[in-house]
Amino acid sequence: MTGTIHKSQIQKVFNQNEAYLSLIIVAYSILVTSLNPSFLSFENLLDLGKSSASMGIMAIGVFVVLLSGGIDMSFTAIAISGQYIAANVLIASGVDNIYFAFLISCLVGLSLGAVNGLIISYFKIPTFIATLGTLNVFHGILLTVVGTKAVNSAQLPDCFKKFGATNVFTVVKPEGGSYGLSIFTVIFIAVALLTWFILTYTQLGRGIYAIGGDMEAAKRSGMNVFNIQFFIYCYVGILAGIAGVLHVSLIRYSNPTYLVGSELSVIAPVVLGGTRITGGSGTVIGTILGVAMITLLNNSLILIGLSSFWQEFFTGVIVAISVSLSSYQIRKSMMI
Amino acid sequence: MAEDFLKIQNVSKLYSGVQALDNVSMSIGQGEVHCLVGENGSGKSTLIKIIAGVVTPDGGEIIVRGKSYKNLRPIDSINEGIQVIYQDLSLFPNLSVAENISLNQLIEEKKKIINWKEVKNIASSVLSTIKKELDLNEKVENISIANKQLVAICRALLRNAKLIIMDEPTTAITKKEIDKLLSVILDLKESGISTLFVSHKLSEVLQIAEKVTVLRDGKKVGDYNAGELDYDTLSFYMSGKKIDHSVFDYQERADQKTLLEVKDLSKKGQFEDISFKLRPGEIVGMIGSLGSGRTEVALSLFGLNKPDSGSIYMNGEPVKINSPRKAISLGLCYLPEDRLNQGLFLKQSIQNNVVVTNLRKILTKSKLLNYSKKYEYAKMWVDELNINVPSLEIAVQALSGGNQQRVVIAKWLATDPKVFILDSPTVGIDVNSKSNIHNLIRQLAKKGIGVIMISDEVPEIVHNCNRILVMADGRIIQEVDTVDITEDKLFDLVSSNSKNSEG
Repeated sequence: MTGTIHKSQIQKVFNQNEAYLSLIIVAYSILVTSLNPSFLSFENLLDLGKSSASMGIMAIGVFVVLLSGGIDMSFTAIAISGQYIAANVLIASGVDNIYFAFLISCLVGLSLGAVNGLIISYFKIPTFIATLGTLNVFHGILLTVVGTKAVNSAQLPDCFKKFGATNVFTVVKPEGGSYGLSIFTVIFIAVALLTWFILTYTQLGRGIYAIGGDMEAAKRSGMNVFNIQFFIYCYVGILAGIAGVLHVSLIRYSNPTYLVGSELSVIAPVVLGGTRITGGSGTVIGTILGVAMITLLNNSLILIGLSSFWQEFFTGVIVAISVSLSSYQIRKSMMI
Repeated sequence: MAEDFLKIQNVSKLYSGVQALDNVSMSIGQGEVHCLVGENGSGKSTLIKIIAGVVTPDGGEIIVRGKSYKNLRPIDSINEGIQVIYQDLSLFPNLSVAENISLNQLIEEKKKIINWKEVKNIASSVLSTIKKELDLNEKVENISIANKQLVAICRALLRNAKLIIMDEPTTAITKKEIDKLLSVILDLKESGISTLFVSHKLSEVLQIAEKVTVLRDGKKVGDYNAGELDYDTLSFYMSGKKIDHSVFDYQERADQKTLLEVKDLSKKGQFEDISFKLRPGEIVGMIGSLGSGRTEVALSLFGLNKPDSGSIYMNGEPVKINSPRKAISLGLCYLPEDRLNQGLFLKQSIQNNVVVTNLRKILTKSKLLNYSKKYEYAKMWVDELNINVPSLEIAVQALSGGNQQRVVIAKWLATDPKVFILDSPTVGIDVNSKSNIHNLIRQLAKKGIGVIMISDEVPEIVHNCNRILVMADGRIIQEVDTVDITEDKLFDLVSSNSKNSEG
């Protein structure tokens, strides 16, 4: 008797988490639109899709790590390293090609991710400590070895700027000017789909869920836990590399001190999206909704006319509330 | 008789000077339900590990289906169809039933891409071979322990199991669930699969086994047909001692006032109209299956489970117990069923575990911890309760179950309690230490503490309590003085009423 009540309630909490979040997003959008009608315009939505892509891709990476029961604190340092090194190599070599930029940034991401993966799976250091350490190591090396001078818009190779302005389709406004669906958004969706496919339909992906659920049981069932963890941190590294290039293409400026320090604002949407911080549970859809919610919040504050300093405050509040709510619901259902 | 599936001949194992197994032989027939019993440290787990190929014996031979192995590796054991289901089951709580069952098979086949239809087909076909149904999409963390065991059994069957070894499978499940498990095992038996049960719950061993092998101190005491054993002989074989059959004798004094009174305590979905009285020096037993509400009532008395209605009186005064802190200050204490997670700080020293409830008594004038006081205080309690340890600095996780339980009791006695609630005080404790704990509890009652003892073991309740509250479905269905009831009658009462609870 007690068993069934317990079961259905927990099930509800997790199945409904995403539904709740969608509902909040819709309700909030309506509220903001009533205050500022320009909010719910097609143009603004497409623009949000573009500006949130870089954060979204990193959030997907963080989601995969959290799912496996770990955490990565170093991905911002990886993203900025990939971006800054790619920009500098392109300038130095004179090759003005965005594919080359992606290649370099992703290679940097892959190698730094591999360092994380090796440290974590070989030396069995807790992931939080390991990546907090490598965050500083990676960033320190970047600043001392590669440089501290920002690449400004004039110096930045044209391919970044062109890439930043690329739209998959463009709408010309009657009053002049145009807007469209940015390639950024498409890349974000592609990354999300790929991640969803890996997690749902591959042995590797199920292994990620499995080690997040019970590491010991995973070992006993004959999974190669070492390989799975190594893959995860390499994957996050590559995603950070992609995010780095999107970031510089968006703001047309590469400063090696950017991004680092914003780890929590990327982890926040993942947690908001219902991914359990202890591992084993969470969905790609949830993560995307989390990113949407945080993006919406940040954007709307400006539209409403609040200073952007309020962003951090509201991000913090919303994460605290959502996590407390779900943990309260779980606790309530456990007590019956 | 059918050919023996597994034969173990003269197996010995020496662990750093300790003879864990000494020249042990046993055999398991095809389709046989065999129980391996023994107290903690008798060599049961070493023997399982040897059969699983995880531990290599120093000498002896293991013969599986006529094939002799001097050096059985884990992979040989698995290939011969030997599957061990460990106590923790090794399932993935966050994955579905279907995936938990078929995951190993997919790993073995080295499938890169998952076909979810196949995953479900595999799972449901195995489930049908044991004639059971489970919701394949449900996450394993949401199903009962008994169903988790079914999942683990299915997984073992998928690996072509011929012998399934279950390590203490009945520790955490109800009587009804044990019956279900038994029916599964009988089905397995029909398809020629042998089962080796490892247990120290004697009543279940007698209910389930065809053959019983008893180990004591690494040596085999003997092989027996279950029919020729009863509870007393079996426990004698296990412990080498006759168990103490003395009963608690409570001398009622006319002037005794009621210490604790509970009136109409109710909580929706948990328990209803719970009323009883407890006098100083009494041991009142609370018996009922898992889910009968017994633990929930205890938690309410200790301020951990707020009741919806009803009242509690201490020495005639109405009290509100809304936190453990309040409960302790009123003189209540609670020994939880889950000693390891809730009763102790496992990695902390004995000393720290004993003093934790009463730090105020060991402070210096400036309110800092006084280490020499702390040591003396802990030492006093350890001596008082005869906890036999070389040092107070040892982490409690290194102690035997019996000694761990004494540490929990010491910790609470240090608070000078008036009412002591003990939830399943001898779970997982071997026969010998069990009677020591029982004696200790009786001494507490003699000193005037009112004891509430929760248990699902009928003999334990009958021997140690002067009054018994029988619970089922969240209600006290009967209150009897122990002198008016026999073990058999109480057993019938509990099992006939446990059928309604827990689905």
